Amino acid sequence: MIEAHELTRRYGPATAVDGISFAVGEREIVGILGPNGAGKTTTLRMITGFLPPNEGRVTVAGYDLLEEPRKARRELGYLPENVALYPEMRVEEYLGYRARLQGMGRGAARTAIGEAMERCLIDDVRRQTIGTLSKGYRQRVGLAQAILHGPRVLVLDEPTVGLDPKQIIAIRELILELGRERALLLSTHILPEVELICDRVLIIDRGRIVGEGSPEDLRSRLQGHALLEVELKGTPPAAVERLAAVDGVAAVRPHPIRPEKLVVEGVPGADPREGIFRAAVDNGWVLLGLEQERASLEDVFIRLTTGETSSGSGGGDGFESWGEPGEDGDEDLDEPLRDAPEPAAAADEEVPS
Amino acid sequence: MNGILATLQRELRAYFFSPLAYVVLCFLLVVNGIVFALILSFLNDPLQPAGRPLDLFFGGTFFFWIVVVFAAPVLTMRLLAEERRSGSIEVLMTAPITEGQVVAGKYLAALLFYVFLWLPTVSYSVIVARGSEIDWGVVAAGYLGIFLVGALFLAVGIFASAMTSNQIIAAVMAFAILLALFAFSLVEYLVNAPEIKDLLAYVSIPRHMEELAKGIVDTRRLVFFGSTTLFFLFLTTRALEAKKWR
Repeated sequence: MIEAHELTRRYGPATAVDGISFAVGEREIVGILGPNGAGKTTTLRMITGFLPPNEGRVTVAGYDLLEEPRKARRELGYLPENVALYPEMRVEEYLGYRARLQGMGRGAARTAIGEAMERCLIDDVRRQTIGTLSKGYRQRVGLAQAILHGPRVLVLDEPTVGLDPKQIIAIRELILELGRERALLLSTHILPEVELICDRVLIIDRGRIVGEGSPEDLRSRLQGHALLEVELKGTPPAAVERLAAVDGVAAVRPHPIRPEKLVVEGVPGADPREGIFRAAVDNGWVLLGLEQERASLEDVFIRLTTGETSSGSGGGDGFESWGEPGEDGDEDLDEPLRDAPEPAAAADEEVPS
Repeated sequence: MNGILATLQRELRAYFFSPLAYVVLCFLLVVNGIVFALILSFLNDPLQPAGRPLDLFFGGTFFFWIVVVFAAPVLTMRLLAEERRSGSIEVLMTAPITEGQVVAGKYLAALLFYVFLWLPTVSYSVIVARGSEIDWGVVAAGYLGIFLVGALFLAVGIFASAMTSNQIIAAVMAFAILLALFAFSLVEYLVNAPEIKDLLAYVSIPRHMEELAKGIVDTRRLVFFGSTTLFFLFLTTRALEAKKWR
């Protein structure tokens, strides 16, 4: 439904997006993931036709965006990053205006507005002026506006940013539901969101796609070789050497943070856990822990966007991304990555005036 | 067409909901009321030369120009600058609507509101008609003049609004362009060469207004206002299109 071919966009001498190509199929939810300033918004703006690309082309629902812009836009719903609505209008009025802009007749518009308000749960604020709504409600009005005309393609730029946790869950559910009927492209810098919502992920950095695949794909790509944490009672000195000799083990080294543990890296495709257990028994060591480190999408993300190779046989440099070894809770981390400005802004507010 | 109407309706509604529009309306009514009263008392003075009050009212005084030169930038400054500042232009321009339709809808809304601003002054003609004879043709020509001047000034205003995302800058820019257009009419008196004098007379906005206030509707004046207005609207559309490329 969306086909982007070699999109390039420059702002003066700076290249924001550099030759990005991808496609989104029907009933597919694709997430664009990247650090701030990676070119996510610029890419989405080119897909929606707000920004023309310097090079490359986009087709939406089969219509070329430059050759048949009006037909393409009719099939497109868009929720920009900072949902800008007209604050003096009432919710219902605003949706009526959008329906007219989309060229809908009076009767069709009324039904569509009713449906959109119901789906986005804004029925209760239909008579309120938009300026008085909370951020969560405004976001939902923005979504209602985007789906009003029944577009086959939906583009959402950071749909959950600035919402409280409860609202985030509601919006995610709505997105999942909307994605069942149409092609949906969204951008985010929140990793767990991608794992929860998206069928496929594009990781972009500095204007280029640096990784692509399903969240599971990306994770398993990093997991091509097993990473194990082994804890032996007393950490026998010979352990490093002997474990390295076990079948299927590529390398053994001390744990970078916890001295009582060893890190064992497997040969791609092999599972050395059994061998390690037997080695411990044969040598009379007490095995206190044997844990398989599951790579989170966060690791993939950090690897890809810091210029490291993503291939499974890329060597043992994966440990640099071990933030908190032994804790598998990385996936549940509901914090936006690299979101430094927010705490800084919060700190500013605390300064008494 | 649907896009133009939708935009027009939304912008008109925005005018009637914004306090600024009422400030302009009050300002215009107060100034016009004072001017009209002054004109009447001036003409009532037997020592002054005789004249028709409405001739003077339609552009015959300096106040008329002050009002329109201020009102036009204030009425138009929000139109496109605010869309860009708030970011709502992103939602607007991804709808199936062209830049030209957006400009047309917003401009027509401003023009309609401008007409609405002048409606109360029709009562002045009615007041004059009660005390003396009145030539309604001349009055109509005078209002045509007000309409044409407003149409041009608002086009300049919306053009300035398309150039920036700051309403104040848009207003100041429009004000500057209007003053520059005005300056031509003053240069006319400084030049001696007859060809240049004729040329400057043709582009002199106050002169056009003066003629219309006398009831002389000359096609050349209609062409002048029509072409310059369309020219500025064309520039506005191009400015809006060009912004995408930066």
